[in-house]
Amino acid sequence: MNAQAGKSKASVIIIGGGIQGCSTAYQLAKRGIDVLVLEKDRVARHASGVNAGGVRLLGRDIAEVPLSNVSMQRWQTLDDELDADTGFRRRSLINIAADEADIQTLQKRQDVMHQQCYFHETMIDQQELRERLPHVADYCVGGVVSETDGYAIPYKSTFAFRQAAARLGANFVEGQQVQQLRRVGNSWLVETVAGRYEAEYLVNCAGAWADQVAVMMGDNCPMTYSAPMLMITTRMPHFATPVVGAVSRPLSFKQFENGTVLIGGGAKGFADRANNKTRLDYAKLAAGASNAVDFFPIMRTATVNRMWAGLEAYMPDNLPVISASVNSPNAFHAFGFSAHGFQLGPVVGEVMADLITRTHSDFDLSAFRVDRFERKVL
Amino acid sequence: MTDSYDIAVIGAGPAGMSAAITASNAGARVVVLDDKPQAGGQIYRHVTDSPLADTALLGTDYTKGADLVAEFNACRAEKITAANVWHVDESGEVLFSQAGASASLTAREVVVSVGAMERPFPIPGWHLPGVMTAGSAQVMLKSDGLVREDAVFVGSGPLLYLIVAQYLRLGVKVKALVDTTPKQNYLAASHLLPGAFGHLSVLTKGLGLLNEIRQAGVPVYKYAEDLNIRGALKAEALSFTSKGVQHELTAEHIFLHQGVIPNLNMTRAIGVEHSWNQQQLSWQPQTNDWGQTSVQHIAVAGDGRGIIGADAAQLSGQLVAWQQLARLGLISAADAANHSQPLQQKLKSYQGLRRFIDRLYQPMDALRKPFRPETMVCRCEEQTQGQLRAAFDQGARLPDELKGLTRCGMGPCQGRQCGHIVSELLAEWQGCEVEEVGYYRLRSPMRLINLTELARFQPHHQTARTEVKL
Repeated sequence: MNAQAGKSKASVIIIGGGIQGCSTAYQLAKRGIDVLVLEKDRVARHASGVNAGGVRLLGRDIAEVPLSNVSMQRWQTLDDELDADTGFRRRSLINIAADEADIQTLQKRQDVMHQQCYFHETMIDQQELRERLPHVADYCVGGVVSETDGYAIPYKSTFAFRQAAARLGANFVEGQQVQQLRRVGNSWLVETVAGRYEAEYLVNCAGAWADQVAVMMGDNCPMTYSAPMLMITTRMPHFATPVVGAVSRPLSFKQFENGTVLIGGGAKGFADRANNKTRLDYAKLAAGASNAVDFFPIMRTATVNRMWAGLEAYMPDNLPVISASVNSPNAFHAFGFSAHGFQLGPVVGEVMADLITRTHSDFDLSAFRVDRFERKVL
Repeated sequence: MTDSYDIAVIGAGPAGMSAAITASNAGARVVVLDDKPQAGGQIYRHVTDSPLADTALLGTDYTKGADLVAEFNACRAEKITAANVWHVDESGEVLFSQAGASASLTAREVVVSVGAMERPFPIPGWHLPGVMTAGSAQVMLKSDGLVREDAVFVGSGPLLYLIVAQYLRLGVKVKALVDTTPKQNYLAASHLLPGAFGHLSVLTKGLGLLNEIRQAGVPVYKYAEDLNIRGALKAEALSFTSKGVQHELTAEHIFLHQGVIPNLNMTRAIGVEHSWNQQQLSWQPQTNDWGQTSVQHIAVAGDGRGIIGADAAQLSGQLVAWQQLARLGLISAADAANHSQPLQQKLKSYQGLRRFIDRLYQPMDALRKPFRPETMVCRCEEQTQGQLRAAFDQGARLPDELKGLTRCGMGPCQGRQCGHIVSELLAEWQGCEVEEVGYYRLRSPMRLINLTELARFQPHHQTARTEVKL
């Protein structure tokens, strides 16, 4: 399935075979563009293959809501679109309010959302919370729900984009860590550890390594990387249909159809980017476990089967970079999704394809500019 | 109990016990963690407190372990029993679960001596209730004195013959021994026989077992192939051909065995480099001559670094100890070399025997790489060969990719059972070497752990955190 040796030219080269890269490749290939994806390891090897699979519109930063909204519509029919099983299940997402202070927070958020004419987040009271989540702890007082939300299986989703792209002619070459980017005439020359490639356009979807690629393109940005941790239990009796988050506690979990329960919540382990490795912080995982049993007493008897972390890119404002390069022609960025980019995958592909083929997007992308942290030094 | 040691030994089988004895006698502060209530490992399980009236029936290879266990129990190493190690860090931190609570300790050097496990035997029906490994049948015998009447034993290798003989000596009826050792293995192994003469007693013991089984009147079917366990909800019969003749034996208990392979989950999860051993057809950690792995401070001893048997495992445990004593600066490098040299030589002398045994009992391709679509590969997640093949046809090339598409290897056993099968199947389907395919990327914890226990856990180096509400 990989591009055969010798296929070294394309109209567009995408660096990074995560969900953003694969989705972008799919959208470009769909428009008849000759596209090549260079992946340093294997497609979906890092965050795109091992994240929590949350497909979440609830609680998004206002700047992301228009993108997230369209992406959420895409998710509802993505399996048909890609002719594949992404594992997507629409299950609703509830953020639990543990006390009155949480309710106040939700109320304020609701006011802001309504002012912007966004009505997809609905507050629920204690009784409705209990109806939707019968096993929630007694002290929880209410919450907020978004009905369209749910989860998908990250590896399968990313793989589905890849396969759909490949069917439309996109090429994927794995084991291609980019070492150098150069402009020669109207072309980008890409030198990897294993080969040389040439394209008119470049797209940087390199995830936790994207700042390095950005620098080679001529753009500096204050991206950092980290290793958010997850754990999953063995199968349990069915007890929670909605995906669950919390307003002010680091908790998120979802019970899959097979009964396993995935517990996340943003606790970070140690990221060794140079060696593609992560190490877990067991004290923080213990705190996450404690939150889970605290909110859902039924989980006291749960058994942890696996704990892991993936390498993810973060921006200082926790918003992604979805942007044309400011210093180079025909170069674009989609990275820095700060642990919530999976849901945005379908729409980001469309946006990048628009930026390349139509030179603009209908979305307001000003909040996601690569140079938004540039400041004049006085 | 302190929580900081020179050496932490994980697993108290022959290798682990020897390492602990050698290192603690030389003055190192040693801790040994084992998941059983008593030391001994699989081979010497319950050798000092057997539920059986007469342990001599199990054979001298078992009873001779009593001396080692006694010496280990008397040595100065600290013993933490009934402890499940669920994480070993590169830094030497060991996290373990004991009596429902997790604790941690640190060591300057770590010996992983977790031994072997039985090679999976993926034939149609191997997932049915009533089918067990012969090793499990032996565990039941050693720890609880439990046996099954009229069982059919299937497979090949010294352990299989030994267990059948042990059953017979206890007066338990055995329905049949179905021997899958292919005829060509005898020919292929014959030229290796001279190299094994140094251990003549082992060879004659093996022949003696077979004679013992035959003389007890147990039907022995040789060169068995096309094995198929039939049954709807549980095992009902085993069908096979032997010397070209079709047989079907009704049986509710079918015990499978085709040798042992290193137990890799711990070394894999630590991140040690592994390589494919073509002689033993299994993965093993890469080590130097003393057992040191690619990860600083982590060494492997015993069958966990390639199958060598109990006697050699004992030697390898001592070797690791001498090396670590030198690494710790407790003895000089010259001393370590002096102590190691005779051990290395003795270990080498086992190689000829091992080559012969490995070749003679090499399991057939058909018994390692299921070729029928309906044969189960991953029993936890109920993934058949056909389902895996479909994912391969979709583009999955590596074990982790197959896992991502099918959940194969994601169940409670963490791929212990299907790992080798998946590596070999993927290599066969791609027409490449197993080493190019690799193995699952393994995750923590190395053992299942209760969520409440994890919630209460505080690594020792952490300052106290806020009270956990439970």
